[in-house]
Amino acid sequence: MRTKLFSLIALGVLLALSVPAFAHHGSAAYDMSKTVTVTGTVTDFQFVNPHVLIAMDVKDPATGKIEHWQGELTSPNHLARAGWTKSTIKPGDELTITGGPAKSGSPTMWIRKVSKDGQEVSLGGGGDN
Amino acid sequence: MMRKRLAWAVFVLAGVFVASSPAMTQQNTPAKQAPQGNQPAANPPRRGPAPPVEGPPHDPHDLTGVWNARRGYGGDTYPGPGPELTAWGEEQFKKAKASNGGEYTLEQTNDPVITKCYPPGVPRIYLQPFPMQIVQTPKEVILLFEYDHTVREVFTDGRKHPDADALTPTYMGNSIGHWDGDTFVVDTVGFNDKTWLDRSGRPHSDQLHVIERFHRMNERDLELDITMEDPKALAKPWQVHFGFQLHPDWTLQEQVCADNGAFVNFEK
Repeated sequence: MRTKLFSLIALGVLLALSVPAFAHHGSAAYDMSKTVTVTGTVTDFQFVNPHVLIAMDVKDPATGKIEHWQGELTSPNHLARAGWTKSTIKPGDELTITGGPAKSGSPTMWIRKVSKDGQEVSLGGGGDN
Repeated sequence: MMRKRLAWAVFVLAGVFVASSPAMTQQNTPAKQAPQGNQPAANPPRRGPAPPVEGPPHDPHDLTGVWNARRGYGGDTYPGPGPELTAWGEEQFKKAKASNGGEYTLEQTNDPVITKCYPPGVPRIYLQPFPMQIVQTPKEVILLFEYDHTVREVFTDGRKHPDADALTPTYMGNSIGHWDGDTFVVDTVGFNDKTWLDRSGRPHSDQLHVIERFHRMNERDLELDITMEDPKALAKPWQVHFGFQLHPDWTLQEQVCADNGAFVNFEK
């Protein structure tokens, strides 16, 4: 009993300390030779340095299961020159994002293309700045 | 909540190293003055991809404006062959754990610009994927970099570098400049040894000497030939080329390295 309790506590500590699933780091984290596209509802949009972030809930049409995706964009400075503001994307927006997926298999990507209401939103020249 | 914030933080930082290749799509506005037109230099130094020389006339002695790396320049290092390093240089290079164009993650990199927000140094500053603004005054040319408010002052009032004994080692060095025909030549010494020559970890020592030759080829294109000399780190001078494009409708924005650390403490 005591062992079982200890194991549970240990498991809890491990979970608390574990690095989040999308905590990959650096370009080595993304497989830019692959492309993944998902469509979902924006839950968060961070127009911040050094890179802009989008979080989305993506519903699997077959199972109805919701998967939480995170997408990373170029710098806000670069996007501002392409016409973006902190209000370009809002929670509740329906988006389709395409990019290089995380090598870890976690639901994250380096975004290369954003479409809102069926219209592509320009990331500026190159989009990698 | 805390964990969510940390998650965002780590995620944000993860992207810092994704390879960047500045891209330019802007076109120029009409030229200002054309005292000398689009004449190439009598003895043009080694150049990268040849830019178009057609277009409105320009003043080759006017470098003012906001310039961004032309397509093909940027990323982890300069186009062309890498440097020939000394044994000491090789030893330092092996210790470098680059993330931009390298295989190291944010948690593993020891890039001093990323982990400590050090000023990038010269010429690495040109590889940071943000534009620069050149301001010319009667006594100095000022290079303002969008990346982390980095500034270089290039004195053109005829002064010399301070004597070695009086030269305080700095990240961006001590720069003096003069015009050699239509080429603006910048000589920089007085560096510390805390930064890299590029984003892949090529090292330098406090003996680094950088000679830059800026040449405005036409209204839109600014060419930069860079020679790096460092007897401690480089077996022979490393000559590279960089190209910029004018963006008349751009202004510099704010970019703050400390924002990276605001999410998670990644001091190493």
